[in-house]
Amino acid sequence: MDDSSKLDSSDARLDALFLRHELEMFNAAYAASLDENRLSDWVEMFTDDARYVVISRENADRGMPVGLIYCENKGMIFDRAFALEKTAMFAPRYLRHIVGNLQILAGGRNGEVRARANYVVLQVLFDRPDAKLHQVGVYHDVFCRVGPSLKLAERRCVYDNLLVDNALCLPV
Amino acid sequence: MAWHNVARLDAFGDRHVIGVEVDGTPVALYRIGDAIYATVGMCTHATGLLADGWVEGDTIECPLHQARFDIRTGKALCEPATEDLRTYAVKIEGADILIDFPPVQQSLNPEPAIATGRSTIPETTQVDTAVQSNDDRQRARGSANATDSTNRKGILLTRQYVWPSNDLTRIPDWVYTDQDIYDREVERIFHGRTWNYVALEAELPNVGDFIRSNVGPTPVVVARSEDGSVNVFENRCRHRAAEYCRELSGTTKEFVCPYHQWTYNLKGDLIGVPFRRGVGGKGGMPSDFLLENHGLRRLAVTSHRGVVFASYAEGMEPFGDYLGPEILREFEATFDGRKLKVLGHYRHSLPGNWKLYHENLKDPYHATLLHTFLVTFGLLVAGNRSLMLTDKTGRHGVMASAKSDAKAVSSDAKKEMRAYKEGMTLREPRFMDFVGEFDSPWSVTMATIWPNLIVQREMNTLGVRQIVPTGPHEFIMKWTMFGFDGDDDTMTRHRLRQGNLMGPAGFLGLEDNEAIKFVQDGMQRVPNREHLVKLDPTTEAGTSDTLISESAIRAMYKYWRQEMGL
Repeated sequence: MDDSSKLDSSDARLDALFLRHELEMFNAAYAASLDENRLSDWVEMFTDDARYVVISRENADRGMPVGLIYCENKGMIFDRAFALEKTAMFAPRYLRHIVGNLQILAGGRNGEVRARANYVVLQVLFDRPDAKLHQVGVYHDVFCRVGPSLKLAERRCVYDNLLVDNALCLPV
Repeated sequence: MAWHNVARLDAFGDRHVIGVEVDGTPVALYRIGDAIYATVGMCTHATGLLADGWVEGDTIECPLHQARFDIRTGKALCEPATEDLRTYAVKIEGADILIDFPPVQQSLNPEPAIATGRSTIPETTQVDTAVQSNDDRQRARGSANATDSTNRKGILLTRQYVWPSNDLTRIPDWVYTDQDIYDREVERIFHGRTWNYVALEAELPNVGDFIRSNVGPTPVVVARSEDGSVNVFENRCRHRAAEYCRELSGTTKEFVCPYHQWTYNLKGDLIGVPFRRGVGGKGGMPSDFLLENHGLRRLAVTSHRGVVFASYAEGMEPFGDYLGPEILREFEATFDGRKLKVLGHYRHSLPGNWKLYHENLKDPYHATLLHTFLVTFGLLVAGNRSLMLTDKTGRHGVMASAKSDAKAVSSDAKKEMRAYKEGMTLREPRFMDFVGEFDSPWSVTMATIWPNLIVQREMNTLGVRQIVPTGPHEFIMKWTMFGFDGDDDTMTRHRLRQGNLMGPAGFLGLEDNEAIKFVQDGMQRVPNREHLVKLDPTTEAGTSDTLISESAIRAMYKYWRQEMGL
């Protein structure tokens, strides 16, 4: 359903349009920070108490909480980025995040916005000629405003692919 | 010695030499006047086929480098040939040419090498009497004329597998890359005398609950039946082989193959075949068809502390004997009697040989070198108390270590490890806390239970990992992470946070996966070499109390060679 059809005033429709634009810009910037391997910029897109989880659809559908990545706050998100940059050993690669089908579900209390978007992550390893579909899934998001900017208070990445191809080295 | 009819006289046409094949060996036939002679068809110098050569008087000249031979005796007459041609006796019966061709020699398989099973040499002598026309020969000349007669049947390639030395310090690549070796592993190991992990009982709490699983590569279903027992049977219908169960898990009263609705109960017994007696007195199964003879293939099952294992072998020893007392003690330290609570799964594919995963967890040497995360944040250092334990057969192992205070690590030990950086700290170090809950001196144990199970007790993040091999170059890992029934929300969340260490995106787990891929890549791109596993020579194979050891890998191969007959 088109959310804007429920809105009766043109001001409200314009607000919805602006919000939608804002979220799309946010997701594009989020994808760019990961594609360009700017992990410290990626960390700053979350609120201090943000949750960031990458979980299989198999687990999510069965109500099981285990995630490939399971961060309960920005400190853990920072540690993930820090460890990946400073200590983790994995083969060099290019990633390309494609985000689409944005749906704004509800504006909640305290200016919170619930939204959902499909995502695809393509991965190119330097020893193989092709880009492979590394992840396909859905972001389940809660956005909120911190000062002038939007931040993620929660991003649950629920991936459909049953098997992870070897390892998930970088965030989704 | 045997006479073979190889051609008819009129096959010569107006030529003086023709080629035939006997048992894949090229033979040249010559006509000098009314006499027929036969020699081996290939020049003794290079690979020229004499049937393409030039007959002059009673000599044959090879088309490739002009070596000449006496047709009657096979004698080499000039350079570059130095070796005579083999000749065969010839007799004519009516219009048929027969030659006396020796029987094929069987290849020898000296111990400890094994034949691959593909190496079949025909028992019966096959004779190819096809003779190509001059035009065909003309076309073939120049490019493939050295092999044109053998290529039509293909060539037989066999391989002998010989361990490179008397000790275990070198492992040949074919252990990890060869399809025949892999097939033999499935037969002798996964389908042999082993207990294969298939499920946790906590995944099947109620009657009718089932999950799809595997024994080696073979798909099976694990189901709890009405009498409370856990049953394991193949996921292959006895009728037309369909893999009938498609859900990852679920609850059912029975299993119905969707193709023709053959129906099996929760123990795998066949209980219904549609139109078994036909329709209107026509069709249907033969009258002697008995349902009880056509149940699903069932495996032996055992369960220990809620962990379920299956075996294709009859009369397997009890699970405790299979593990041996030392490994059983560690197994029971993790599965300590508390009821398990499943928290979720990871599934991933690994582009490497399945044994590399065992080896990685029998290789304490890599822990501080690959996983610099542990060292950087002062969580594990080479001076930590540790043990690499194996059972007496060498097939199972437990890598164990005890967490110690980073401040207590000697400066010498720190210097050895390039990644140790004082001052680098985590913002949320609590995820590395160890909450004591086990009756064990170790904070971390990684148990490798032959042939397909890893039991992970990494402080408080617990899981089993099931190896599902899919070929020599790839396997699938299915992880089932768990806690215990009495865990409160705080403890469950602690386990989940600590889970960031492991799994396919874990700080440590992703590095192991990458390393295994690198190893397989190395073997595939620079093939037919060896690995070196020489660390800790004072322990030939088995338990070692130093991290800087490969003795547990050697112990595994001691056992593997015995099981494989290598």
